[in-house]
Amino acid sequence: MRPKSIRLLTKTTFIYLVFILIAFFSTAAFITQRINSFIDEDTESYFNRRERRVVKVIEESDRDLSEINDLVIINDLSGINMSSYPRYKDTTLVVSQMDDPMLFRVKTVILLTSNGNFEYRMHKNISDFDKFRQGVLGTITNTFIILVLVLTLFSLFLSGFLFRPFHRILGSMSRYKIGSDFNLPDVSTSTTEFKKMQLLVGKMISRIESDYNKLKEYTENMAHEMQTPLAIIRSKAEVLIADDNLMNDHSKTVKVIYDEATHLSNLGNTLNLLTKIENGEYDRVEKLNTFDIISRHVDAVKEMFELKGLNLKVDLDPGHTLHLDPLLFDVMLKNLLKNALRYGLGVGPVLLTTKGKVLFISNYGNPLPFDSAKIFNRFVGSNGAKSALGLGLALVKRICDLNKLSITYAFSDAQHTFTIEPIA
Amino acid sequence: MQNLHRIDFLQNLPIYLCINRLSMKLLIIEDNAELSDDLANFLTDNGFVVEVAFNLKMAQQKVYDYSYDLIILDLGLPDGNGLELLREAKSKRLDMGFLIVTARNAIEDKVTGLELGADDYITKPFHKAELNARVRSILRRKNADGNNVLELGNLSVNLLSLDVTVGEKPIDLTRKEFDLLVYFMYNKYRVLTKESIVEHLWGDHADQADSFDFIYNHIKNLRKKLQQAGGDVQIQSVYGMGYKFSQNS
Repeated sequence: MRPKSIRLLTKTTFIYLVFILIAFFSTAAFITQRINSFIDEDTESYFNRRERRVVKVIEESDRDLSEINDLVIINDLSGINMSSYPRYKDTTLVVSQMDDPMLFRVKTVILLTSNGNFEYRMHKNISDFDKFRQGVLGTITNTFIILVLVLTLFSLFLSGFLFRPFHRILGSMSRYKIGSDFNLPDVSTSTTEFKKMQLLVGKMISRIESDYNKLKEYTENMAHEMQTPLAIIRSKAEVLIADDNLMNDHSKTVKVIYDEATHLSNLGNTLNLLTKIENGEYDRVEKLNTFDIISRHVDAVKEMFELKGLNLKVDLDPGHTLHLDPLLFDVMLKNLLKNALRYGLGVGPVLLTTKGKVLFISNYGNPLPFDSAKIFNRFVGSNGAKSALGLGLALVKRICDLNKLSITYAFSDAQHTFTIEPIA
Repeated sequence: MQNLHRIDFLQNLPIYLCINRLSMKLLIIEDNAELSDDLANFLTDNGFVVEVAFNLKMAQQKVYDYSYDLIILDLGLPDGNGLELLREAKSKRLDMGFLIVTARNAIEDKVTGLELGADDYITKPFHKAELNARVRSILRRKNADGNNVLELGNLSVNLLSLDVTVGEKPIDLTRKEFDLLVYFMYNKYRVLTKESIVEHLWGDHADQADSFDFIYNHIKNLRKKLQQAGGDVQIQSVYGMGYKFSQNS
């Protein structure tokens, strides 16, 4: 499956944002870690001072220990798991003088003194630290959101303004059609890369046009100039054929020369036609009502089928239409009928049907001696058939391809069927 | 040999036809000397007076200095398009027939030529017998040779009324058989290949035929009808080549 296409700027912005997100996340993690360490160090220092002072007070035996909050005497140490101390806990407490609950760190220790054993719980207000930490994280998040918005706007600005010449050049390139005397419009830009791109595209199109014209000229010259020598060969052969004094053996040889010159001439003409079709020279596309065209055509060739013992049956839908140049439809129809006439067997009729949007033509015949996937290739099926050029179905396929028509081939019950319909 | 051939041919023509046809003057405009000579010989053999021009300039001189009944004009000339000559001739209202010769795929040229007033077109490469038939058909349509009846032996073909008679006895022919007979009459004593016959009878659709053997049915029927009516003509099969139409010796 081909990956989904994404615009370059969208892609760049997205990747940029991912990197920024990683950078911001790392920064936030680092700052949080630093703040936590600072809180830990500060609270621990406070707790240690507090613990030392309380121990000192306890050991001064004349002091009243009840004055000390959160100090609990432990009479029996056996039930205490000493390894679980000291215990730390961050908790929210409501302080009487303050409206809002505040965050405290609570450390619980076991004090082993000469005046007894105690569990002592100390509190340290860390609300300010926490607010500072949240403030820093909030600032990072807000900065990131602002950056996303700025980058998106910047990306839109880039595509709308900076990349406008690029899109115009692309648009011109997409409108380019070979052999149409196309001039690349001059897109005004001060960007070096786009200027260079415009220059290169212009040169490339000139080169393509030049090559195309040379090839076209060559093909046309070949196809046209070849006809005169071939006409001379045929003409001379005709003179010999008409000569009563020509020996029988020689006359057969002359006939072969005559036939092969004709074959070569037809080949040149058909290849030239194929080239013209490939180059889109037949572009007078119109909505063709096929009923009359096919009927006229069938009337002209029906006799050829009858003389070969084939029954050409037509079933035409008066509403059937195709969108293409009438000359190309003529070529298409001729070649499909020619194919049916050449390879059809008289065991059943040749059927030419139009129904809805579909055109079918089928004939009875022997199975293909080659892979059916190659049926539309040039020079595939002509090997065994005398005088066949091997270009007919290739022509039909090309015409279909260029006119948004699909052509399919099927063989079943000794029947070869071609189906032509518009591509939805 | 060609001269002898022509004399043989002329001996078989009615005298008035010979006189008329010898007065028909054609100009072939074709840049290839080999081809134009070949065509000139062929048409001379068929009783025409033929001149040749190899380029547009030479053709223009000839057309304005002399008078021709028909001009066979190849459009692809070394010093210009033959359509220029056609355009000039028609603008000067020169009363000449024009048969244009085009490459097979040059559909635009055919259309332009006919729009400019050409009488017919033929595509390269062509059968000489077809050229002969087209030339005669144009001349007949323009009424330049003054007759519409082709005759050989006791066979007579009226091109206007489409009647075919052997002696006084009419023969009923299908349209294709009639066209075939006319083609034979235009090209009698000449081997006509099957391809040439198919191309003549089916025109642009001829290339749809996979083989040309199927015309045998038409030949067979025509031969039978001519024989049954007592015609002293024959359609002779020339093995591997085609058919030759001639008067029984």
